[in-house]
Amino acid sequence: MTWGLLLQAVVSGLLLGGVYGLVASGLSLIFGVLRIINFAHGAVMMLAMYTTYWLFALAGVDPYLSVILTAPLFFALGVVIQKVVIEPNRSAAEHNQLLLTLGLALFFENLALVLWQGDFRTVRVAYSNASFMVGEALVEVPRLVASGGAVLMAVGLFAFLRLTDVGKALRALAEEPEGAALVGINVARIRAASFGLGSACVAVAGALITPFFYVAPDVGESFNIMAFVVVVLGGMGNFMGALAGGFIVGLAESLGAAFLPGSLKQLVVFMIFVLVLLFRPQGLFGGSRDR
Amino acid sequence: MIAKAAGTLAVAALVALPPLLPKYHLEVLISVLFWAYLGIAWNLLGGYAGQFSFGHAAFFGIGAYTSTLLLLQVGLTPWVGMVLGGGLAAAFGLFEGYLSFRYGLKGPYFSLVTLAFAEMLRVVGVNTKAVGSSLGLVVPSAKAAPAMFMFSGKLPYYYIILAMGALALALTWKIGRSRLGFSLAAVRENEDAAETAGVDALATKLRAMALSSFLTALGGTFYAQYFAYIDPTISFGPSVSIGALLPAIVGGAGTVLGPVLGSFVLTPLSEVTRYALRGRAGADIMLYGAILVLVISFLPQGIVGLVRDRRARAGRQ
Amino acid sequence: MSEHIRRLSGGPVSRRTFLATAGAVATVAGFPAIARAQAREVKVGYLLPVTGPLAYEAGLALNGLTLAVDEINASGGIKSLGGAKITMMPGDTQNKVELGNSEASRLIDQGAVAIIGTFSSLVAFSVRQVTEKNRTPFLLLACVADNLTEGGLKYTFRMQPNGKGMATLTVNNMFEMAKDANVPIKRVAMMHEDGNFGTTMGNHVEAFSKTMGYELVQRIPYNLRSPDLTSELAKVKAARPDLLIISGYYGDSKIIAETAAKLRIGVSALVGLANAAYSNPKFIAENRELTEHLFDGNYWYNPQSARARAVFDAYQKKFGSTMANHGVQGYQVTFVLKDALERAASTDRDKIRDAIAKTNLSDQILTQDAIRFDDTGEGINATPALIQVQNGKPVVVGPARFAEAKPVFPVPKWKG
Repeated sequence: MTWGLLLQAVVSGLLLGGVYGLVASGLSLIFGVLRIINFAHGAVMMLAMYTTYWLFALAGVDPYLSVILTAPLFFALGVVIQKVVIEPNRSAAEHNQLLLTLGLALFFENLALVLWQGDFRTVRVAYSNASFMVGEALVEVPRLVASGGAVLMAVGLFAFLRLTDVGKALRALAEEPEGAALVGINVARIRAASFGLGSACVAVAGALITPFFYVAPDVGESFNIMAFVVVVLGGMGNFMGALAGGFIVGLAESLGAAFLPGSLKQLVVFMIFVLVLLFRPQGLFGGSRDR
Repeated sequence: MIAKAAGTLAVAALVALPPLLPKYHLEVLISVLFWAYLGIAWNLLGGYAGQFSFGHAAFFGIGAYTSTLLLLQVGLTPWVGMVLGGGLAAAFGLFEGYLSFRYGLKGPYFSLVTLAFAEMLRVVGVNTKAVGSSLGLVVPSAKAAPAMFMFSGKLPYYYIILAMGALALALTWKIGRSRLGFSLAAVRENEDAAETAGVDALATKLRAMALSSFLTALGGTFYAQYFAYIDPTISFGPSVSIGALLPAIVGGAGTVLGPVLGSFVLTPLSEVTRYALRGRAGADIMLYGAILVLVISFLPQGIVGLVRDRRARAGRQ
Repeated sequence: MSEHIRRLSGGPVSRRTFLATAGAVATVAGFPAIARAQAREVKVGYLLPVTGPLAYEAGLALNGLTLAVDEINASGGIKSLGGAKITMMPGDTQNKVELGNSEASRLIDQGAVAIIGTFSSLVAFSVRQVTEKNRTPFLLLACVADNLTEGGLKYTFRMQPNGKGMATLTVNNMFEMAKDANVPIKRVAMMHEDGNFGTTMGNHVEAFSKTMGYELVQRIPYNLRSPDLTSELAKVKAARPDLLIISGYYGDSKIIAETAAKLRIGVSALVGLANAAYSNPKFIAENRELTEHLFDGNYWYNPQSARARAVFDAYQKKFGSTMANHGVQGYQVTFVLKDALERAASTDRDKIRDAIAKTNLSDQILTQDAIRFDDTGEGINATPALIQVQNGKPVVVGPARFAEAKPVFPVPKWKG
């Protein structure tokens, strides 16, 4: 074990964790308000990545700039999904809601496969390969940007929920559903908006990821499970927690890769997942509501 | 009365028709019964006890690997290996269940934990050379040897899975009418109230878990012998976990016939859509996903629930 | 999950099409049999993942098949069968086991005298049971799992190198090249995807170390969905290997090459082993700087053969793209079948099978001696080529007698 290896593992772990936190923040929001585990989260991100790709390939739009277009687009998509599929089943058993999002995930992933086939597509921009060294550790610029985006998004969401009316309504709904209705909040609209917002967040995540990750119909799966782990770790509905959780998961995975044989790094993450679920299900940092 | 007659006819057909069926119809029927069996096993925990497991592949894989490893390394007949695998799976299920229930995991949290356990087993399998890692295990199948659970032709496998399904069904029916069944229903509906009424919720759920995991493991051995090849992804991966719960959900969780009905609908449906939409990979699963959403939305109690609703409404008129 | 879920819809059991009538309506490419005295058609079925995640690679193999069939038919068909033309019957497996089975059964029922396929070893495991039961020759295409020819099967043949051949001969080729360049290889590192393909390759590279006298200083399986492999590559770098061998698929191989470059990994060369990306013309075209001087041990055409060069040109002309490993395979395996048909002078499957078993074909475009099979159906002389990307083109640099260019070794840009 060398210090160089350790340093690299820590640096990559933080960068990876930033990406995970970025992807998970939307999921955390959705769970916090709607209390559903959204299996379609990765699939929506995949659709956003394809959108980013096509904007780039057909119109030369830079991925980072494209969020101006994709975020509102996917906000709208999220609202539609919530209104059409999820809201009507709001009082269904929890596991049925889980299966609903699973069905959506299957639908979207295979829609992408039908439309665009399975070949990998890449967005190559000038900064795709930019990197620098910190001591012996490699830092890749696009991943750094994504991690920075994660922090910005967490802070942004935090501010949004504290300072805007819609945000306060979202918090009210998350913490006290009956009370929220009583004080005149249009809960149906807020529920739709929360899914929309969560989808917009994951769309931004997708756009920030395309400069360094390939685009394919199953790309969401690389991040879906991790997003769940991060959300549970951080506390459902707590997206500052999700950010921290992301860093923890990224570090665990990266250190596992550096010091464990084989592809056992996946085991480390799952074990953390199980331990948190068993012994601290409200997350390391507490959720928006106790479980 | 009509239902009874139809039921008897169906059973007679299932027993008598297969030798007359063309090969591909027989294969589809075996498939239907296989998923029905797994659904019945899942149903004990997911439907009757109301603990929605997303990781039943863990038990399936333990069954498949146990009997196959014993066969390959010690020459033990899978008929015995199957039972040992079931025992091991039940032990694992009790471990998993005890941890989860003791620490109060319910609903989606329980589902996620079961998913995690199945995935962990998969990763361990992939990284363990002693069980063949990703190369998997090939089950000898060249010669017929009934004592070793090897048959030429598909018909014997059909009757085996039919018998397994019938036994599991009978067990489910029996449990439904027993004390355990009442405890399960009480725990499923309202665990706290059940506790107040004197039901030991933990013990009840664990019993369901042990039965469910045992039966699921037997299905794993059947798969290994029928397909003659297993690997960690097949055995512990999400396709088995999800395939095991869908028939029960679509047919009606917590009912005796639910998983059977569900499989009789879903399995041929996926076959037909896959055939009708071939040449455009993904189109069939797209449709499948859409159908899943529709079924959940409009038939939340499954097919059995629909039938019951109709009957209740008819009764009211 | 989606791969698993793709399989979930049908379950793991082999199936046939549910509707009997559907079989009659199934798409069958080809011309109706003309009721004339002499000219007949010979039906051959292929099973490829034409749609789905492997569609691109399967398309390349299909190009090769098509090119060969057109060439055979244009030059008079199978002469010993009175000029009978070959009709290719399509079978789409979507890379799923159950579809592979049902399509194999369907093709055989519709008169295919042989089956070519299936790319995925997992699908092939299942299909070979069907073909063996129906006594139909099954010519493997791109499947590397060693045990596909095990078990006493009589109808399965593999023209290309199997996993063991790929691994050991590629390592051999690298060592030969290193010897010529006077650069010793003592320490070897390997990264491979943790599925069947990668693990097979990894096992062979590990087993071969004692024979060849190198130390496998790192062997790292990874999950091909992993978004980040930096720690793994840092581990490799820390072990100071002379060579890094990579058996992976497209996306992961790309991440590895990129990260290795940025880390300045310090090896003499990066070598793909049956890698899906490193000799892939599309990957090369999209990543010019990255791919320059990458090695790949893979099946390839023989640049020293005039016929191979002509075929290469014909392929370029017909499809507007560079012929690469899968196209070569598709083309050559069709000619193996053609040669067997000529010698069998019959459409009886058993006679064709026996003719294939006796194949001794020197007029071929591969980087190997004559195509012959041992009694398990494995290609005796199967040899992978050692390819290096030079100036944006994959060129053969080994074995020496097939080489069209000198290798650049050690590769300066990979050195720390």
